[in-house]
Amino acid sequence: MVQFILRRLFLLIFVAVGILILTFAMTRAIPGDPCTAMLGEKATPQTCKLFLERFGLNDNIVVQFVKYAGNLLQGNLGTSIKDSRDVTDILAERLPMTFELTVFSMAFASVFGVALGVISAVKRNSAADVGAMIFANLGVSMPIFWLGLLLAYIFALTLRGTPFQLPPSARITAGTDLPSLLKVWGMEDAAGLKRFIVLMLSNSVLFSSLVQGKLDVFVDTLRHLILPAITVGTIPMAIIARMTRGAMLDALTQDYIRVARAKGLAEFTVIMKHAFRNALVPIITVIGLQFGGLLSGAVLTETTFSLPGIGTKLVDAIFSRDYPVVQAFVVVIAFVFVLVNLFVDLSYAYLNPRIRAQ
Amino acid sequence: MNRSKLFSAVSLAAASAMLLAACGAATPAPTAVPPTVAPAATAVPATAAPKPTVAPTAAPAAFVGDKLAAPDCNYGGSMKAIEAVDATTVKFTLCAPDPAFPQKITGSSFNILSKDDIAKTGGDAKKIGENPVGTGPYILKEWKHGDSLTFTANPNWWGGAVANKQLVIRWSKEAAQALLELQSGNADNITKVATEDFDTVAKDKNLKLIPVEGLNIFYVGFNVNTPPFDNEMVRQAFAMAIDRAKIVKDYYPEGSTVANGFIPPSFKPGPSPDIKWYDYNADKAKQMLVDAKFDFNQEIPLSYRQVVRVYLPSVDKVAQEIQAQFKKIGVKIKLTPKESGTFIKSSTEGKEPFHLLGWGADYPDATNFIDYHFGAEHKQFGKAFPDILEQIKVGATNSDVAVRQAAYDKINTMLKQHVPVIPVANGYSAQAFRADVTNPIANPVSSTDFWMIKGAKDTFVSVQSGEPISLDCADETDGETFQACDQIFEKLLGFKPGTVELKPLLATAYKANADASEWTFTLRPNVKFSNGAAFTANDVVASFARQWDASNPAHKGDTATFDYWASYFGGFLNAKK
Repeated sequence: MVQFILRRLFLLIFVAVGILILTFAMTRAIPGDPCTAMLGEKATPQTCKLFLERFGLNDNIVVQFVKYAGNLLQGNLGTSIKDSRDVTDILAERLPMTFELTVFSMAFASVFGVALGVISAVKRNSAADVGAMIFANLGVSMPIFWLGLLLAYIFALTLRGTPFQLPPSARITAGTDLPSLLKVWGMEDAAGLKRFIVLMLSNSVLFSSLVQGKLDVFVDTLRHLILPAITVGTIPMAIIARMTRGAMLDALTQDYIRVARAKGLAEFTVIMKHAFRNALVPIITVIGLQFGGLLSGAVLTETTFSLPGIGTKLVDAIFSRDYPVVQAFVVVIAFVFVLVNLFVDLSYAYLNPRIRAQ
Repeated sequence: MNRSKLFSAVSLAAASAMLLAACGAATPAPTAVPPTVAPAATAVPATAAPKPTVAPTAAPAAFVGDKLAAPDCNYGGSMKAIEAVDATTVKFTLCAPDPAFPQKITGSSFNILSKDDIAKTGGDAKKIGENPVGTGPYILKEWKHGDSLTFTANPNWWGGAVANKQLVIRWSKEAAQALLELQSGNADNITKVATEDFDTVAKDKNLKLIPVEGLNIFYVGFNVNTPPFDNEMVRQAFAMAIDRAKIVKDYYPEGSTVANGFIPPSFKPGPSPDIKWYDYNADKAKQMLVDAKFDFNQEIPLSYRQVVRVYLPSVDKVAQEIQAQFKKIGVKIKLTPKESGTFIKSSTEGKEPFHLLGWGADYPDATNFIDYHFGAEHKQFGKAFPDILEQIKVGATNSDVAVRQAAYDKINTMLKQHVPVIPVANGYSAQAFRADVTNPIANPVSSTDFWMIKGAKDTFVSVQSGEPISLDCADETDGETFQACDQIFEKLLGFKPGTVELKPLLATAYKANADASEWTFTLRPNVKFSNGAAFTANDVVASFARQWDASNPAHKGDTATFDYWASYFGGFLNAKK
């Protein structure tokens, strides 16, 4: 098992090199350059010459890649062309938001998706089954940005003044006082990995508010997360529900289920212990794949809800041709995707002894 | 060590290295370009000077005024000297007359920073933004990157108390989402209302729509060197073939106007009301094209970028409308939308023979529109017209408004004659406020004066369309960044709310010599920075010198391009060759 994990980690090196080359080439293939993208009609040839020289963008593309790869090996993701800030800092600020959103939406999608799928399969061809599957199909068909705006409209405007009112955007209420953990812990001068980790923790508003004992901020943050999480999670929930239903239907027709029932086991035990557990492999696969999809879904949802995650920053960076930010963010997203897939593969072994034996 | 163990060890080491790299644990390699080494000193060292390029002049007892001067005017720029005459007087000497100098320095790029803070931060935009020290109405409380900026009142502000205890600036790229914020009461103001939302806001009793005058121009441009546009008659015919009134009526928000010339209506000197642009006349246009032996079989590409601007809020629809209007007279137009950066580059280089573009005012003076576009160095429209160049010289080098207006009247006539561009529209924009906001006001060219706008709660929340890039606006160009900077910093001069009329800020008075090549500003006394330090003329010199002098240690900013300085005053002193 350990060898299997290490072999997969070793293969990650090649994946990493591939990702680096691809993202580097793709960002450079975007038409235009950072100067004209940022200055628009105010860009003059003289200004752009200075600008591109300043960031080494006049160099040969191979030279640029070698410099980039060299810096990366030293742990330096570069400096944002747009605002001259360390990309590592920007990552540390943005990742926690997307992570919180992804976890909440994944939890929403998994819990509701699996529940709907199981109910649908157990109550096959009933009104509950038809209703659940109509709901699932609607979920898959709905454009994320439209659903986001619709939910925001309903919960922020239509239900305004009721207990169900929810904020239409932002991470926390404007003007909320939540100091950075760097300040709270007196680590403003911290650098390197230490700074990265504390920044990450600090920008996880849920964590930071809890650590600082600010329950009102914690609750406020949760309220701000509800609509985006539902928006991002709806499509995966629908897909998980359909996959769960299919896998459960398949499992419920197997001989061992008949045997379990013949033994006189309670129906709940038969469904959850025998059918559901055996149906889990394809469900876990689809959940893993959806996790990667959630990251891309977060790009749209964060824009719709003005959330400071990697999605909004990535869109902004692409439009302003901020190459270091685009590269770093794409690399991180790709790595997360690869790691989640690795985790899913490992979970097969845990769930299915036959795979473990192989 | 057997093969599999070796394999495992290598894998573990590689994975660890990658993890460390991703986390940024190692020492980052510097990517910033080191400051340029100063060539021969150009500052005028009147006394034994410290290292900085700004050197004290002959010193009065209490105040040592700084001065920076170019040895001559051959370095490529138009600034000759900046001098702190005394603690409350600063003098700018230019290489050539510039009647628009006061308007130019109203830009947020010319905010005044504290000399000490410039030295302390080394002019690094990032460091300036960490603890910005200004003289403006607000001080920065916190910048949650990606989320919001929070300001509180500056207790040292010379203007007195601000209307709101706390100001929060947030941002949203989506206009519909920003409007939802306003409608739901989560924001007090949105700085941009989408064209299609004007009606919604106007009809909502909980909101107030504040239209903002369009200090901009949307135009159809030609390269007059490229056939068939090398024929003046063809260009004139094209000018008559476009129904500009229909375009404005159908695709622009209420308040927008059909452009009668290239300069926005409220500029003085500016447009010439007596000189009317060509009326729409399709029949005459077609006849003129026949007379000019225009080839009706050719397909003419019309290039543009699909970027929404106040001057062109419905890009594709307007392009299609123009295509349809030309079809009526038998001219085939092929629409060729291009990526924004590529289009800007090629149009600037004169490689777009027939294109759509626009311009928004940087400062309210005709020079910002006419001189920039039709000056000798601008290649967008092909060869420059000598008669226009001659009048540009008159208009740009004379401080007498009447003489300047006469020059621009001639230019407006010549533009109508030569038609390097067809001016189409001056697009209006709008801000929206909650109805319970007191004194809502929007400025056409400068940032919003939040200090005088009172919300219903202690915290006033404004939503703009993008996050500021930094809080060192000397080296920035976008309105969202300026909006944030202008709450903290001030310029010598500003604009009266809602107008383009100059008003004193850090300078209470100014005067020019006869040919407008020397400008002397009297500074407001007893002004303090937010950190309690006194504001003097040396702060003004330091703020300008760090932009002008490329060898100044503080010539850093964000990208070290200082675009507005370069655009207004040409080259940098001591620039690397």
